[in-house]
Amino acid sequence: MDLLQRWVARQFTTRVIVMMPVAIAINIVLGYTVQSVLKLPIYVDSIGTILVGCVAGPLPGAITGILSNLIWQYAPGIGAGSSIGPFAVTAGVIGFMAGIWGYLGVFRSRPASGLRLIVPAAIAIAIIVLLAARMYTIPQYSDPGMGYPSWVNVAIIGIGAAASISVALFVYLRRDAGGAWVAVAGAVTGIVAAIVSAPIAAVVYGGVTGAGTDVIVAALRQGGADVYNASLGQGLLSDPIDKTITSFVVFLILAGASSRFLARFPLGDRLVRVEASDANDAGATDGN
Amino acid sequence: MTPERPTATSPVVAEAEEAHLPEFVRRIPVGPYRALNPVTKATLAVVAAILAFGVRGWTGPAVVLVVVVSCAWTAGVLRRMAPFALATLPLVASILVVNTFLYPGAHDTIAKLGPLSPTWTGATTALQATLRVVAFGFSAALFALTTPVDDLLVELERRGLGRRGAFVVGSALGAVPSTLERAREVADAQRARGMETEGGLWRRFRGLVPLIGPVLFGALAEVEERTMALEARAFTAPGRRTILRALPDSGRQRAARWLLFVGSVVAVVVTLATPVRLP
Amino acid sequence: MSEGLVLAGASYRYAGASKPTLRSVDLRLDSGRVVGVVGPNESGKSTLCLVVAGLAPGVIGGRLEGSVGLDGIELNAMRSPDLAQQCGLLFQNSATQLSNMTATVFEEVAFGPCNLKLPPVEVIEVWWALRTVGLEKLASRDPVRLSGGQGQLVALASVLALRPRYLVLDEPTSELDPAGTKLVTEALERIVRETGAGILLVEHKTDVLARIADEVLVLDHGTVALSGPAATVLADPRLAELGVEPPAGVRLERAAKASGLEWSAELAEAVG
Repeated sequence: MDLLQRWVARQFTTRVIVMMPVAIAINIVLGYTVQSVLKLPIYVDSIGTILVGCVAGPLPGAITGILSNLIWQYAPGIGAGSSIGPFAVTAGVIGFMAGIWGYLGVFRSRPASGLRLIVPAAIAIAIIVLLAARMYTIPQYSDPGMGYPSWVNVAIIGIGAAASISVALFVYLRRDAGGAWVAVAGAVTGIVAAIVSAPIAAVVYGGVTGAGTDVIVAALRQGGADVYNASLGQGLLSDPIDKTITSFVVFLILAGASSRFLARFPLGDRLVRVEASDANDAGATDGN
Repeated sequence: MTPERPTATSPVVAEAEEAHLPEFVRRIPVGPYRALNPVTKATLAVVAAILAFGVRGWTGPAVVLVVVVSCAWTAGVLRRMAPFALATLPLVASILVVNTFLYPGAHDTIAKLGPLSPTWTGATTALQATLRVVAFGFSAALFALTTPVDDLLVELERRGLGRRGAFVVGSALGAVPSTLERAREVADAQRARGMETEGGLWRRFRGLVPLIGPVLFGALAEVEERTMALEARAFTAPGRRTILRALPDSGRQRAARWLLFVGSVVAVVVTLATPVRLP
Repeated sequence: MSEGLVLAGASYRYAGASKPTLRSVDLRLDSGRVVGVVGPNESGKSTLCLVVAGLAPGVIGGRLEGSVGLDGIELNAMRSPDLAQQCGLLFQNSATQLSNMTATVFEEVAFGPCNLKLPPVEVIEVWWALRTVGLEKLASRDPVRLSGGQGQLVALASVLALRPRYLVLDEPTSELDPAGTKLVTEALERIVRETGAGILLVEHKTDVLARIADEVLVLDHGTVALSGPAATVLADPRLAELGVEPPAGVRLERAAKASGLEWSAELAEAVG
């Protein structure tokens, strides 16, 4: 129990406490702006959540996500008429997963060249293709009795191809093998998010949430899918893209931040390659 | 000083009075419904959400709507609920259209309008979903209009939320409008330099990307200084900090809170797990 | 055991930096005295503030050599709540120093004492801090909606409320208009008069220093290039080459002398 208490306390330093409201505000403002201006079936409302998760840990990440959704729902002016509140569960899961990726050092910059660049990229693309192929074959998508229109298969192939190409380009242009793992982490987070969100959307809102994604839900229902499957189908198309884009944005932010800034966070040591001389620096008591 | 559960004449409220704290600090709310303890009002909002979404059929949301509207009328905020009602229209329209015309597995068509065949089942489901959304929206509006967030945070902190929890929520609520303001400033500056906000999708996308960077980095740059400012004000001192404000509570309200919460959970469980079905 | 806040041969390097930002700095801050610090950009002024207030390396890490002590006790040995009661720190941007948890200026200024769990009958004493900086009439206002100068006064009062013996201010007027600068400067004068606190004031505006500083240090590339009584240092001809603009009085006197005009003590007095 004491170990658990210490694990919890380690994640909530003063700096993390200060960062969380900033991240919550980023989530809400960027999410609201992107959704009202672009009206695309992506959300872009998890940048802050994933950022906090991978620099501080699973618990701060989860709480950032949950609070973002709740505050957005009850926020004057932008919250009324939105359907974001009940999805706090999904946001919590996303934040928690980001913490796990943080522990695994997924978001660390890995400058590389030649083979050390190509191999991770190839592995990442292989994983993405496998995931897409697995999605291709789930009953909802392949069984005409379940009622998915055939364009869904084309969409999956298209998304898989676009994702593979983007990952390859990113890794090549930035000479950073880290991009490969970030892409995989984003895709997996997206799939989990879709699976968690579908029952919430179906049960609480009957599948229609008022976001740009309703168009896809409608199209899937047109093909005959029932409420739950239409929500799941829409989620599996939108969420992996959205979370992968978000993860890349977070990765770019971290790459642009100074190591001085990152080092003082609980998971900072997994984000920065520590120089030998810093190991002797006075350890700081971070207000715990 | 040990913070206690505040009651109408509790030691904590008395202590605040004894210290002659200025009135603008004590800010005890008055008026029917508003004078209720913020935790009571928050419990009502939570219970409303549970009943509106958890109890299938018409009864749950209908009851919630009736109760919320009467509370709003008592508190005198009914007219100010109108904008909240209007804000739910896009969502409601979406629900009505998608469910009426595209409800899977329904065959009792209302009419045949070319390729579209709206169904009664679909329409019924749509109306129920609409009622749920409206009931929830109204309960959220009631809460937002009658409960200053500061009041709620004070009460939660007294009950164990802790200074760090109160900071995160309070600071986030303050950060949203200021970040929105910064985003607008950046957007204006970009627009002056030729960024497009109207037009086709690609144009809007291209216009949006340069917005994200400055907003993000501007917000993150403050983290270091804010952290130091908190440390310089002894924020990290251990233990429960002094809370100057004290809002009245009563045994009756506490009982009502428990009753409502447990009652709502029971209602949801009963309608889900047993054959009992409400209309 | 010496009284006062003393830096002896202090060198500081940020975590992850290859070179030290401060090199062998000697400084002494006594109660009731105002020490001004000037210097070009990147000379280490902000770092000096963090070191004197004990936040570096305590909160932000990095490596400190030499000694930084208060009445003989190393600042490193103190935890930040205790440090906050000994040495208060103020930054340039008033908005980032607000807690965002309070609805009135009074509660914002009471933030520190409340954090220290003082009972309400003692917290009420913060009226003193509000009076000293001149904020009593604004006590019921929302701290977020104040002007830049007023916001800095709130930050100043909220640090004062902890009754520190020393105050460190890092360019407090740099983001303020002349009216705001005047508010803050007058508040600082009152603080010195009424509380006897020792103040370390980093300022670009040498006019402010000419008015209230007893002693001035010029920092250049992390070392102390000049130090001495304020009037002497601010009139030193080497200031310009160190990237610091002398105060208006000094510039006028030089211009007058260069044009062969009479310059007297009365004129100097009138200019301020």
